[in-house]
Amino acid sequence: MNWTPFYPELYYFAGGMVFLGLSMARQSNPRRDYFAAMFLAALGVLVCLLNVNQEGFIFFKTYRVDLFSQVFKVMLSLGLFLIICICSELKGIAERHHPEFYLLLFVCTLAMMLLVSGAHILTIYVALELSSYSLYVLVALRKDERSGLEAGLKYFLVGILVSAVMLFGVALLYSATRVTYVTEMVRVLPGALDSPLVVIGLLLTLCGFFFKLAVFPFHFWAPDVYQGAANQVTAYIATASKVAAIAILIRMTAVTGDGSIYLAHVLVILSIVSMTVGNLAAIVQKDLKRLLAFSTVAHAGYVLIGIQCMSTFGYATVIFYAMALLVMKFTAFLVVVKVADDGRNLQMSQLAGLHRRSPLLAMALMVSVFSLAGIPPTIGFTGKFLVFAAAMQKGYFTLVLIAMINVVISLYYYLLILKAAYLEEPAEERPPLSLSPQIKILAGLLVCIMVVAGIFPTYLIELASAAAAVLN
Amino acid sequence: MEYADFPYLTAILLSCILGLLIIIFTPEDRTSQIKWVSAVFSGITLLLSVYLFVAYDKTLGGLQFVEKVPWVESLGITYFNAADGFNLPMLLLTGIVFFTGVLTMWELENRVKEFYAFYFVMVLAVFGLFMSLDLFFIFIWYDVSLFPMYLLIAVWGTTRKEYGAMKLTLYLLAGSALVLPAIIFLFANSGLNTFDITLLMKPGTFTPYQQKFAFILFYIGFGILAGVWPFHTWSPVGHVAAPHAVSMVHAGTLMKIGAFAILRVGIFLCPEGWQHWAPLMAVLATIGIVYGAFVGLSQKDLKYVIGYSSVSHMGIVGLGLSTVSVDGLNGAVFQMFAHGIMTALFFSAVGYIYDRTHTKVIAELGGLSPIMPVASSFFIVAAMASMGIPCLASFWGELMVFIAAFKTYPVGGALAVSALVVSALFMLRVVQRTFFGPRNEKFVHLTDVTFGLGIPRMILLATLLLFGLFPALIFDMIETASIPFFNGLP
Repeated sequence: MNWTPFYPELYYFAGGMVFLGLSMARQSNPRRDYFAAMFLAALGVLVCLLNVNQEGFIFFKTYRVDLFSQVFKVMLSLGLFLIICICSELKGIAERHHPEFYLLLFVCTLAMMLLVSGAHILTIYVALELSSYSLYVLVALRKDERSGLEAGLKYFLVGILVSAVMLFGVALLYSATRVTYVTEMVRVLPGALDSPLVVIGLLLTLCGFFFKLAVFPFHFWAPDVYQGAANQVTAYIATASKVAAIAILIRMTAVTGDGSIYLAHVLVILSIVSMTVGNLAAIVQKDLKRLLAFSTVAHAGYVLIGIQCMSTFGYATVIFYAMALLVMKFTAFLVVVKVADDGRNLQMSQLAGLHRRSPLLAMALMVSVFSLAGIPPTIGFTGKFLVFAAAMQKGYFTLVLIAMINVVISLYYYLLILKAAYLEEPAEERPPLSLSPQIKILAGLLVCIMVVAGIFPTYLIELASAAAAVLN
Repeated sequence: MEYADFPYLTAILLSCILGLLIIIFTPEDRTSQIKWVSAVFSGITLLLSVYLFVAYDKTLGGLQFVEKVPWVESLGITYFNAADGFNLPMLLLTGIVFFTGVLTMWELENRVKEFYAFYFVMVLAVFGLFMSLDLFFIFIWYDVSLFPMYLLIAVWGTTRKEYGAMKLTLYLLAGSALVLPAIIFLFANSGLNTFDITLLMKPGTFTPYQQKFAFILFYIGFGILAGVWPFHTWSPVGHVAAPHAVSMVHAGTLMKIGAFAILRVGIFLCPEGWQHWAPLMAVLATIGIVYGAFVGLSQKDLKYVIGYSSVSHMGIVGLGLSTVSVDGLNGAVFQMFAHGIMTALFFSAVGYIYDRTHTKVIAELGGLSPIMPVASSFFIVAAMASMGIPCLASFWGELMVFIAAFKTYPVGGALAVSALVVSALFMLRVVQRTFFGPRNEKFVHLTDVTFGLGIPRMILLATLLLFGLFPALIFDMIETASIPFFNGLP
């Protein structure tokens, strides 16, 4: 068997093993762990980039490597690398747990890579569970044990419930079509979509991914988990984990070919409710991480707009949107992590005076917030624009209009964040934030990426289109 | 189409961007350097826009100084800038207001660097929108021009600034929530895979139904920014709250963006929709004119008075557009220009007075004319322009619109003209109470405008006079665009 297409996964497996070894060391050494993780993650990005053009099926056709999966693997490796960049002061997690923290991050990234390449329903399920279990533990690792454990337990209970539902859906799907390979589903499903059993089976299967993406009604875990987990873990859940969820959702929706009207209707409704619930609930939040959790729910709604088009262009726009989400969500969390330098949660009021304490972070926050809200010339706007254009080509005018109204609603709370950072003065004077040069460069770079990719999106659009083209 | 031998239009944008970059990288405490950089680069944009206005070949007409670069080819997005008879007056207006706005804020002390940086972003977008002929870019510029407003008003504003800023931003972005679906709707239904307005405006591209549907979205969406009644309520509140230069740019050019985009996007692409909805536009515009005048009558704050007079004057622009005639279009575009200069002068003049007296409440002022005769005269001239006194630019715009309106909508035209009387009444009342009458002893020690600080106001005043005495300078320009456009209508 040719193992070449599997190199990135093998690499991340080896990376995980390094930290397994380090976790057995008698004395904890956070600096060593941090630099090891940084080095391995940076090398991992390189490995993934070098393997972008791999193609082929391995493991008896249960595992598919193509441009689609490889693009997402680059995004995932990049997500991991970015998260580790903000782990230099990992105060949210006890020092003796640092190696485990990195171990779980690597394993979780590995699992998500398996997920985006899965071509058999069982591969997908196992990969999904592996990534979920890593996250359950990561959430519970928080130093402040009460909130961490509570969040971990909530996440776990909802997660296994959804897993059961998903398995039930898989069983229904199998009983109706007798296929388990994704490649065969592509052949069989489009013709079988008028059977209720298939539609229900497919929807229940998709529930597992809805849960990952925090789509209504599977979003209840999101605010509590975001709030309870350590800041870096939340950042990871909000970026890399969402990217993987988007990938697998595209992969599973693409098997239905042109799709069925029932499926599209359900997706449209879920999309509308997710956007609206997410945006309305975000308005009243005071904890920045909770607010971002609800904004994630809203973004899941925007993602579904592109997915329910069930066209190659629609999938391409969603891939672009995933790239945008990765960058802009991460930037927002970079600010959260750096402003909350004691590792606690960040309240909106703590942003007060940020424009004086660190003009760079305030600017990064402003650009990421505008990008999340979808204001040009940022990458977030281009993403939304593409998704809306895809929906409009399918004739969903009302859906686009509702989405735009949601954008305006969301703008209200995004502006409140800006108001806190730029207008409000802190009750007691707080010292300027000292940032390491690396973080300054990273923040500046992210701001540039968000703006430049918003103004010159051509290359990314072409990449996303090429990735989407291999789906069928 | 005449391609440009030198990218003048892009040069305007680039000088904004360059100025912005220099401001960003200048240390915060060197305020006077920041102000000079702002003045120089805004001066360059003014010179360029004047040059374009003069160099445009009126005998040739059509699109000139064209710059076309493919941007995202797979989606048919082009970076497409051009100058024609409609947008040249607007570019000139923006250049003048931008430059005078920078000078008006010369005495700013608080967070100077950030103020000028946001101010440059906003004006950059205004320029971009006026010169663009690509739907996608028009939307981008539209949104970019709005988002700095929130911080500009909320940080540097005055009365109820946070409320005003939030209200303004949400209202205007709600407008863009209607515009974006309409743009994508046209894009998806044209089948041409392009955002190029010159290609999309070919007759027969859209069915009458599509045109009617898209036009009403454009009209309401952009109309919110143009201050169309009943979507105007953000405007007085926002203008009162904003710092002077922002009020100048906002009332002077941003509201024009709304009206201009209705013309450039709505009317160009959906002429049948325009004809279908024209009566509705006329009704709303007339209500706006009358309503603005009457509400202005009862205001106690100087800036509120100007804010409501803006609603009234922008109603005249809307009325001109609704007549579906060459005269109406000419008058509307002229009125946009004249009103832009006039409100800029208003806010600039009030800015000087407010910085000295720290109040805008009419009852607390009084008798200012003997104390600061020059500063008062600026306001009084603006008030005269607002009343439509001949020899000042706004007279011609109003005249043309009313002539056209009488032909098409006699009742609406008559109502609108009668509202002018009310408008004259409230302006005279404000002038009388603020500048004449008993002197307020508190303000006796105040000094008059120095020559340096008077420059921006003098430029604005001179522009009002120049185009009031030689209206043909602009009318000839507009006609090179409006007459061919009308003849091309099906």
